[in-house]
Amino acid sequence: MRRILGGLFRIMPLLFGLGFLGPLVAQLLTLAGWAPPWGLAPLAVGMVIGGAWGGVAVLTGRWL
Amino acid sequence: MVAVPDVAALRAMDPRALNRLEKTVADQFMGGLPWGSIAWGLGNLAVWLSLWPLTLSGLLPLWIAFPVAILNVMLSYLPSHEAQHRIIAREGEPLFWLNELVGYLSTIPLVLPYQVARLTHYEHHTHCNDPVLDPDIGTKAAGPWQSIANSIARRQPGSTAQSAYGDCLARLGTPEAQTAGLQALAAQLGYLGVLFAMAWTGHALEAALLWWLPRHIGVTYIEFFLSWAPHHPGTGRGRYRDTRAFRSAVGNIGSMGMQFHIVHHLYPRIPLMRTPAAYRALRPILEARGCDLEKL
Repeated sequence: MRRILGGLFRIMPLLFGLGFLGPLVAQLLTLAGWAPPWGLAPLAVGMVIGGAWGGVAVLTGRWL
Repeated sequence: MVAVPDVAALRAMDPRALNRLEKTVADQFMGGLPWGSIAWGLGNLAVWLSLWPLTLSGLLPLWIAFPVAILNVMLSYLPSHEAQHRIIAREGEPLFWLNELVGYLSTIPLVLPYQVARLTHYEHHTHCNDPVLDPDIGTKAAGPWQSIANSIARRQPGSTAQSAYGDCLARLGTPEAQTAGLQALAAQLGYLGVLFAMAWTGHALEAALLWWLPRHIGVTYIEFFLSWAPHHPGTGRGRYRDTRAFRSAVGNIGSMGMQFHIVHHLYPRIPLMRTPAAYRALRPILEARGCDLEKL
């Protein structure tokens, strides 16, 4: 259990990026009325941004 | 009120007599039920909880709810702090349940479980400014701007500060500390669960402006005024050296009474709202003892 939770919290920034930041970015894009290129859905763009940001935070240990 | 001689007379006083006088003066400010803190803790939580249905139903615009939520998080710690010190009621007293209710509920917006706060805070009092044993020593910084930058840095995923309270609980190693650790885990998972659920049901912005961002801003405020400012420079050790009195640019209310934090460390059972009066009564004694009182 401890190992599972340890692993979970190690990758938590990535999960946070996908689980929260992605939908947040998508909601902000929609509110701003910005249509993503190539017919992409706002959520897809949000997941790319949130996932990438969270992934970088896992690797570097920093959000900012 | 007990009469206190002038500073010169206090300096000439026998140390034991000075101790007795100090305690007699402090005792005048203890006791009674701190209804203000009880109403503050429970009322603040009620306001913060009400923001959720009000904004989700469209009755309250998010741009109004956001600053209110920030204020709620900033206000959420101190009522629990009164409970941590059993100021509302001690174990065995009829109103102990109220003490624990305020303790457990008031810090929900902050995602800081009561028992974690209580046990680590006692360690902070016992080992104030100890570079290893004080769980709050990580808030030490050279100046106010460095304190804010440090607070943000401490919340980065790779920061060692992330484990300061967990390490403290592990060091304590008691069953109570282990339970507190589990409560911290449950609180963190619950908080993330709410954020994720809100986000995936189309309410990410509401969750961000009612909890996520307010919590970050509130934690920065709390670490600045409740931890950094009253202990700065964070090097003094001992009863009369590890905290100070200071004059805050935002006044007593803006700094939530922390200008008089030295009184709290000396007499933790004096209610927060009585610390200004207690400070004024104790000031000559503190001056005679060489405490850092700035110009307050």
